Amino acid sequence: MSNPPIERSYKCDWCNTVSDGTQLSCPGCGVSIDVSKTVTRSGWIEMPGRRDMAKIQFGNSHLQIEGEFVPVADFALAQGDGVYFTHHVLLWTEPQVKISSMGLKGGWKRLFAGMPLIMTQAEGPGHIAFSQDQSGELIALPIQPGAAIDVREHIFLAATSNVSYDWFSTNVWYTTRNGNERETHYPLGMFMDRFAAPQTPGLLLLHAAGNAFIRHLGPNETILVKPTALLFKDPSVQMHLHLEYPRGGTFSWGIFSSWYYRHIWLRLYGPGRVAIQSAYKHMEENGRNIVNYSQATQAQW
Amino acid sequence: MPIERIKCQWCQAMNEKADVSCRACGAPLDIKNLVSESGWREAPRIKDMTEIRFGRSSCQVEGEIVPVAEINLGQQDSVFFEHHVLLWKDDQTQMSVMTLQGGVSRVLAGMPFVISVATGPGRIAFSRDATGELVVLPLHPGMELDVREHAFLLASHHISYSFVRIKGLRNILFGGQGMFMDRFVTSNEPGMLMLHGYGNVFERTLKQGESILVEPGAFLYKDSSVTMDVEFQKLTSGWFGGTGMSLARMTGPGRVGIQSMYVHHNTE
Repeated sequence: MSNPPIERSYKCDWCNTVSDGTQLSCPGCGVSIDVSKTVTRSGWIEMPGRRDMAKIQFGNSHLQIEGEFVPVADFALAQGDGVYFTHHVLLWTEPQVKISSMGLKGGWKRLFAGMPLIMTQAEGPGHIAFSQDQSGELIALPIQPGAAIDVREHIFLAATSNVSYDWFSTNVWYTTRNGNERETHYPLGMFMDRFAAPQTPGLLLLHAAGNAFIRHLGPNETILVKPTALLFKDPSVQMHLHLEYPRGGTFSWGIFSSWYYRHIWLRLYGPGRVAIQSAYKHMEENGRNIVNYSQATQAQW
Repeated sequence: MPIERIKCQWCQAMNEKADVSCRACGAPLDIKNLVSESGWREAPRIKDMTEIRFGRSSCQVEGEIVPVAEINLGQQDSVFFEHHVLLWKDDQTQMSVMTLQGGVSRVLAGMPFVISVATGPGRIAFSRDATGELVVLPLHPGMELDVREHAFLLASHHISYSFVRIKGLRNILFGGQGMFMDRFVTSNEPGMLMLHGYGNVFERTLKQGESILVEPGAFLYKDSSVTMDVEFQKLTSGWFGGTGMSLARMTGPGRVGIQSMYVHHNTE
């Protein structure tokens, strides 16, 4: 009598794709699954390495991720399949791929916020490839029907055409005063991108500078991250500013301590996934006192 | 009894069976070429401390994120380079300057006016200022290779160095490579050319008449038989005007090398 087949199941920590775990890499995002998961003592899961030339299937098309320093996303688009992207990430394309511009709503606001005004779309058949201009990790995020993901501006690399694109105000800001000058800062950017898959599963590609880490926050669990380190979050994760004023040098508590030694954080509340990158842009300390800010918690130490 | 040899998949040089890396280019011999489905061949990742031989000299590649090329120059052997890639040298390594034609044109084009030459015996080391890969290209006699300006790290003295003017105003204005490309030519003897590519480096061999569109800032090198023409595509957003996207059409026959972390030019 033969033994019944063993049912195996593997859920990818990165993209939540469930597979049978018999393959070398996750069919949803391409990360290696035959290596032990690296979790820091604090609970961050490091994005597992991806084998060079890993392949991800979507629809009738597929994607191959090439290189390890500055990975390239090489799409093999089938007839009728398409992707969209911001034009500055295009690395190369076969001449037969049809490239056109995709209209976006809210042009004035996007222009004002420094976001790309134009999305470019490419339609198969043919190969087209994208890369960013800094070393880091390429993150493939499958989006299931009805699901969405919030991505910080300028992280997006490309998405399949069945992923809808929208954006929303971060409402994370603070105003500084320097003499008579007042300036409003948006540490996350004025807007965040929201990608959703309304009907059919879609694939979203992001580029993280440096290494990428993810953690799953429980309900009301909170974590402080540097705003420019945020990569993406589930829409269920809420966020606002957190300001800290350490005691600085010879100064005591009071307005002097808030001049140079302040820390500006982003406080994130679960439930949901939060992902960060290790190479983040330092925020400029222009302006002196913070005179106004969006919803925030504060601490002095 | 025939002597068994291993052919390097990257540079086609023949190696002895016991070798673990190619003596001519440093590519690991125990790892197959990584070729994407679209036909791009990834430049081999040279293992840390790999040694490469050329003439009476050798080169050791050190480090993997921003690799260093450390050259041990034999007597009367020399290499030439742009001075800003020099990392360190032995006191006794002799330095001189290569005389170049077209100095005024080079200055106007922002290309290096001075190419430095180091002559052995002695050690000298080079590196660039960004994460990337060292690409070793052994040049066989009679080869001509065009390289993006400022991308070459060093070349052995058997290689002659010149520069070619990029033809066409559109290619100059939108090609993202300035007015000139470096040209490296071997006549009767082989030479060793070493480039630094930002990010990862990929190579593809185009057939006669076959073409591929490449972001101009990603172009790294090509055989001189490959032609390059910049095409301009307008992307519009109605009321808000639009922007332009330049792509370089590379047409075979010959090899084309690109880098994945590219220099982006004037398309914002």
